[in-house]
Order: sequence, then C-alpha cells, then structure tokens
Amino acid sequence: MTHKTGLIDHIEESVIAALLGLMTVVTFANVVARYVFNTNILWALELTVFMFGWLVLLGASYAVKKHSHLGVDAVLNMTSPPMRRVLALISVGACLLFSLLLLKGAYDYWAVFADLPPTSGRWFPTGFDASARSQSFYEVQDVPMLGVFRFLENMINYGDSYEKLPKAVPYVVLPISAFLLVLRFSQVAVQIWKGEVDRLVASHEVEDELDEIRASHDNDGQEGTR
Amino acid sequence: MDVLLLFTMVVTLLLIGVPIAVSLGLSSTLFLLIYSDSSLASVAGTLLEAFVGHYTLLAIPFFILASSFMTTGGVAQRIIRFSIACVGHLPGGLAIAGVFACMLFAALSGSSPATVVAIGSIVIAGMRQVGYTREFAAGVICNAGTLGILIPPSIVMVVYAASVDVSVGRMFLAGVIPGIMAGSMLMITIYAIAKIKGLPQGEWKGWGEVWVSGREAGWGLFLIVIILGGIYGGIFTPTEAAAVAAVYSFFIACFVYKDMGPLSASDGTSISLMRRPHALLTAFVHPDTKKTLLDAGKLTVTLLFVIANALILKHVLTDEQIPQSIANAMLGAGFGPVMFLVMVNVILLIGGQFMEPSGLLVIVAPLVFPIAMELGIDPIHLGIIMVVNMEIGMITPPVGLNLFVTSGVAGMPMMAVVRAALPFLAVLFVFLIIVTYVPWISTVLPNTFMGPEIITN
Repeated sequence: MTHKTGLIDHIEESVIAALLGLMTVVTFANVVARYVFNTNILWALELTVFMFGWLVLLGASYAVKKHSHLGVDAVLNMTSPPMRRVLALISVGACLLFSLLLLKGAYDYWAVFADLPPTSGRWFPTGFDASARSQSFYEVQDVPMLGVFRFLENMINYGDSYEKLPKAVPYVVLPISAFLLVLRFSQVAVQIWKGEVDRLVASHEVEDELDEIRASHDNDGQEGTR
Repeated sequence: MDVLLLFTMVVTLLLIGVPIAVSLGLSSTLFLLIYSDSSLASVAGTLLEAFVGHYTLLAIPFFILASSFMTTGGVAQRIIRFSIACVGHLPGGLAIAGVFACMLFAALSGSSPATVVAIGSIVIAGMRQVGYTREFAAGVICNAGTLGILIPPSIVMVVYAASVDVSVGRMFLAGVIPGIMAGSMLMITIYAIAKIKGLPQGEWKGWGEVWVSGREAGWGLFLIVIILGGIYGGIFTPTEAAAVAAVYSFFIACFVYKDMGPLSASDGTSISLMRRPHALLTAFVHPDTKKTLLDAGKLTVTLLFVIANALILKHVLTDEQIPQSIANAMLGAGFGPVMFLVMVNVILLIGGQFMEPSGLLVIVAPLVFPIAMELGIDPIHLGIIMVVNMEIGMITPPVGLNLFVTSGVAGMPMMAVVRAALPFLAVLFVFLIIVTYVPWISTVLPNTFMGPEIITN
C-alpha cells in the first residue's frame, strides 16, 4: 500500500515539475526565436497557457493531499483539539460540496466540446440533456492538430478533419482535476475522521522550511516554541 | 444585504480553516446559483479562463521559479557577505547589513516569509555571536523581511496588476523608491539606536573585500537587471522577462555558483565543468533541478488556485455592481479619498495578520479598486499603498505572519518577537503614512520612465 502511494506521489510530482519546466522552456525558446532567428513560434503562448492551466488544476488535488493549500489557522490554533476536529470536519464538508459542484460544472463545460451530452439540473445532475448542441467542431486558436488525436475526428467530429487541436483535448483537464479534487478531499475527510490530521490548510508558503529549522533548533538543545 | 451574506460566508469559512481558494469558490458559486442565472458550467469555465485569458498571471510561476533557483543554497550567504563588506563597519553594522541583505534578497525573491527564512536563519545567529541580543536581531530581520513584497520583482504586485488590469512594469517601478526608502528608514533607526546604546561594530575589511564579495553576489543580483532592464528597455514582456530570469538563474545556480545540480559535490565543494562536460545536459534532469521545479510548482499551484477562485468572486462583484454602489454610498455620506484610504489601511492591516498577502489582495482589490477610481486615486499609488499595508499587517501583533515565521527561525516565543518588533514597527507605520499621503513617491518613477498613465477603467 505504501509502495503504491509512493508511486502515485512520484507521478504527480513528475507531472508538476515537467509542466513548469516545459512552460519555462517554451516561453524562453520563443524569446530566442524572436531575437536570434527573427521569427515567432506561433503556438508558443497558447501552449504555455494550456500547460499553466493543467499545472494549477491538476496540482490543486496534489496540494490537497499534501495539506498545503493556503488558509487561515489563527482560530484553529486557539481552539481545543475536540473543537478543532469538529471545525475540520465542517471545513472538509464544505470542500467536498465545492468539489462536487465543480465536478458537475466541469463535466458540463467540457462535454459539449467532446460531443457528449451535458447533465441537466441546476444544482445536481438529474439526467442527461440530449438536446444540447454539440460544439465538438470548436478548435483552439494556434496549436496545430497532432497526429495522435486523429482518431477524434471520427469519434466526435463526424469524420470532419481538424486543422487545429480540438478544444476537447486541452479542456479535458477540467473534469479530470475536479474528479481528483473530490477524491483527495474524501481521503482527507477520512484522515480527519480518524484523527490523523487536524486541519487541511497551511498558513504560509514556508511551512516546510520552518519545520526543518525548528527541527535543527531542537537538535541544538534549544527550546522549541510551537 | 445578499452581498453582506456573501462576505460573511467567505470570512466564516476562512476562519474555521477552509482553504482560502475553497472559501472564495464555494461562497461565490452558491451566490451565483441562488441569485443569478449563471450555471455551474460557467463557474467551471471561469476557473479555466483564469489561466487561458490572463497572460499577466503567467509571470507568477516564472518569478517563483527564478527565485527558487536563486534561493537554494548559497545565494543568501553571498549577499550577506557583500552586505557586511559594505556596511558592517558602521555602528550596529551587522544589523544594518542584515537590513541591507534583506533589501538585496527582496530583489531576487518576491515573498516576505521566504526572505525572513533565507536571511534570518543566517544573520540572527551571526548577530548573537558578536553580542547582539536575540530580541534585537529578531526584531530587525522580522521587519526588514517584509520588504520582500515591496521591492520588485514582487509576486504580490503581479497579482495586483492582474486582478485590476494595470501594468506590471509600472507597479515594479513604483515599488523602487518606497522600497529603498523603507530600508533606509530602518537602517537609520538602527544606526541611531547603535550610537546611543553602543552596539557592536565590525571592522572595515577594505575595498578589496567589497569588490570580491560584490562580484560573487553580482551573478545573482544581475537577475534584477535582466527583469527591470528587459521590461523597461522594451525587450521583453513582464512574462517573458520572468521566464528569461528563471532560465538565467538555473544556469547561475548550476554552472556558476554550483550550489545544486551535477557540478555540486556533497561536501560543499564544486566540480569543474571541464571535468564533467556532460553536466550541460544532465543538469536539466538532475534530481536537484526536479526538486526545485516541484517546490516552485507547488507554490504556484497553491497561489494560483486561490487567484482562480477569486476570479469567480470578482465575477459576482462585477455582475452585481457592488463596488459602484458602495462608492456611491460613501460619496453620498460625504466620505472623501482620505477617509477611504484610512478604511483601506484598517481593513488590510487586520486582514494582513491572518492571511497570506496574495490571497488577501485578490479578495480586497476587486472591491476597493473601482471605489478608488471613482474617488480619483491613482491606481499605481493604490497598489503601493495596499502592498505596504500588507507588509505592516504581517508584523502587526497579535498574529502577523512574519512574526510567526521569525519566531520559528529565531527559536523564540511569539510574544517575545512581538515585543522585539515593536520599535521598528513604529518606523514602518510612519513610512506607511508618508506613502499613503504622498502619492509622488510611488508615481514619479513610472510616470517619468513610462509616460503619464492612461486610466481606462
């Protein structure tokens, strides 16, 4: 079991690092192209913003798992542990509600681009809305069609060929990451229920570094202050 | 009334420990579902639009990455050595050097807590060794560390620029004079205290040391030249400047400083590129590189997820014309710009204690910006006021964020840090009042270098 989590951590971390690295390289390459080769990589900017969206949306669920989403813990630190557990359960409930609403919204938003029926209902999916007009012919602006996605032409575009990448491809990140958010928030809910963690937020970005410094203070025999 | 409910819900969720992003997203989504015709699909669309439609925000991951490469390992040490060489011989020299080092480090990093951690973990220990009290050392670093968000490049400024549509270049330029001014005020205060109390001073090591340490630190500090020079020289957009800065700092960290990557040896020494030429390729996939990318990526994710959700809130505010109605009510009640700015000061000072500055800014900016425009306040000036306010919020007792971080770094109780920070906090308060009521300080550089501003909103 631990081995499996290790592997999934590894995959998520590699995806985050790779997306950020590629974004940087593509943007840098575009600057070089402009000044050295006097040309422009037409699709560079659009590809970068798609990777940006993928990075943050996919990364959001990883941050849930690592309890590193930013939040306010001043009140939590003042309450007693039983009270803190109650507040944490309410919090994680709010997070689950949000991610479930987002999952429905994300699927509906993406479905029309993928020639799938969106769900009907305002708050909760009550069925499929077969009357919604398919928008699978929508393409992105600059990024060209890639050979590996040719199968989509028959599958969702009634055999018409794409010149640019269909929107369904980059936008698929929305339902995927909303689903992952639901999954990770559920796991954190279980952790809180079992008493393994007492909060889902970090109050600032240097918590890890601070913990390291505190640990070294403790090793030096100085007083810890938490 | 409905709006009051919305904000009450955001604040309540925040306080019970819901992540900022979810507090904003959930409250706004519920509001939209109940009071408007917007569908959940459009909410999800707004989240995606945050990235696809806001090229300014794209600068944030690159700035974060650049400062992550720059802040691994020895850059802080080199900056501190250079600072001590420059001002260490003055009365209270090491403390003044600490402030100076924070200012220089702020020019590489866009975050205050990160500055406190990087400079504080070295300087506080050093100051104690030469005879300063721990309280004095912690007070100095805690205050000087807040300069991280005022001296460009600053992530908070990019967030402000993106959320109210002003130019990032202008904001960066506007931060230069206030940043230098705040740093100088702190240094003068320390100098005065040192004269009175007879604090220890170091010895002047000669221009040779200034030159050698300056050249060492210069590789890192050249980053700010690339960013500001590139933007104002019209060579890059701010986003491109940030990406170039990230690539530059990668090369400096791997091949010049050799603090990380294939040329750094585990015992702290480095290996010549001549002996390991394949490092030019392996550096890109080295575990150190991946770790830095991951750290920067994690920070990007948490910050941007907050911002993306704040855009849903902004959507609500714009739809409901909320800022406009507040502005009209204020004008009707006879409130002028001065009263308004005092209110902004108070809101941000309180909020800044509890919340990470970028998160606070994305909530407050869309609300106060339209009001400020109605009242005729300069958008760049407003941005600087907000940044300075949040700086001070971070060191205002009882729960300022920098106080907390400093207490961890210095290994002393929170209340002791609060007492230690108070004298310098007073200095920064004076600074806040000057910055708030003298717009010239913020606007003169951008207006000189980039022409008078055209307000389009």
